[in-house]
Amino acid sequence: MIYIETGSEDIFYNLSAEHYFAAQKKLGDTAFLIWRTTPTLVVGKYQNTLEEIRQDYADRHGIQVARRLSGGGTVYADRGGWMFTFIQPDDTAEISFRQYTQPIVDALRALGVPAGFNGRNDLMIEGRKFSGNAQYKLAGSTVHHGTLMFDVDIEQMVAATTVADEKIISKSIHSVRERVTNIADHLKTPMDAEAFKQHLIRFVMGENGARYEPDEADRAEISRFAREKLATWDWRYGKNPKFSITRANRFPGGRIEFRLEVKDGLIAGAAVSGDFFAGEKADGLAAALTGCRYDRRAVRDRLAERGFDGVVYGITIDDMAATIAD
Amino acid sequence: MEREIRMPKLRPEMKKGMLAAWLKEEGEAFEAGEALFEIEADKVVGQVEAERAGRLKKLVVEEGDEVEPGAVIALVEE
Repeated sequence: MIYIETGSEDIFYNLSAEHYFAAQKKLGDTAFLIWRTTPTLVVGKYQNTLEEIRQDYADRHGIQVARRLSGGGTVYADRGGWMFTFIQPDDTAEISFRQYTQPIVDALRALGVPAGFNGRNDLMIEGRKFSGNAQYKLAGSTVHHGTLMFDVDIEQMVAATTVADEKIISKSIHSVRERVTNIADHLKTPMDAEAFKQHLIRFVMGENGARYEPDEADRAEISRFAREKLATWDWRYGKNPKFSITRANRFPGGRIEFRLEVKDGLIAGAAVSGDFFAGEKADGLAAALTGCRYDRRAVRDRLAERGFDGVVYGITIDDMAATIAD
Repeated sequence: MEREIRMPKLRPEMKKGMLAAWLKEEGEAFEAGEALFEIEADKVVGQVEAERAGRLKKLVVEEGDEVEPGAVIALVEE
């Protein structure tokens, strides 16, 4: 086994590093990585981002949104947690989660933490989950990665993933909410996050484990894929299944309702109704929204550009944009 | 010759899998080893490659559909 230190707390760089060592530079042995990220919501590859997160909350609290290449639901991560990754090159074996999660459980038990599995192979401490795991297979390699909640801001985690019922309907993977706990609350002897990471590395690798230091060429390629693919709006938001959404709100000028079809992050069709007062120009609202990015600022700019400011009595274009998208 | 492509089993206990993405369009030709589609089951995303060259004749399931392992998902011409 080879330990790789990415030296980065950037979510896109770290996800890109996993991809690089799985698909481009195979080291010929199992790779093990431990890394962390600034506050981020990470959605599964086939999730509808807009259904899983509270974009307004994320914007207000400086939480990034990323999409990983593996399956499953949305996780929240911040500098209070670690991510661990195993990359198995040329893996033809049947998919096993235990092979990668058992060492983590053993490492925790060595610290006196009563960690174990539930019936679905989730990692639990006293009935609460502290790690979410997923995999992808690419170019013959298997990438297994998981979160480890060490001292994560659970309040922020819950707030950022609590999505109001907005009647979004899509054929996609939906997240499952579970009771969670932080590892730090179960340690017999207090330990900081860095010491915990070093314990995991020693436990998994042994005292004389090999290390690989990404060189300049590796880092350049990892950065390129992070920038050109993983950090793009298109990958994070545009890659969404088609969904229908109905959103409404009441303003001094009356109630306005938007029914929208959204495909690949763009409004593919729209209908507007309500009891508001407006001139004939308002009939063009639905047509103006079609083709616009499903995003509050993009909607606002589109409506401003098409001259809808002041067209509806008592409902501004900012009100409309906020009704349509978070 | 016409042949059916079926939903593979990612792991023995897999009950259903989602056809997550078609990587080729209906009517498109492909070579052996080219990725045809991607599935997701039990938090695992896997790409499935063509064993032999051929042409995708008909897509039977849509992206986002969940089907049991063994269900026909497409027809190919070889």
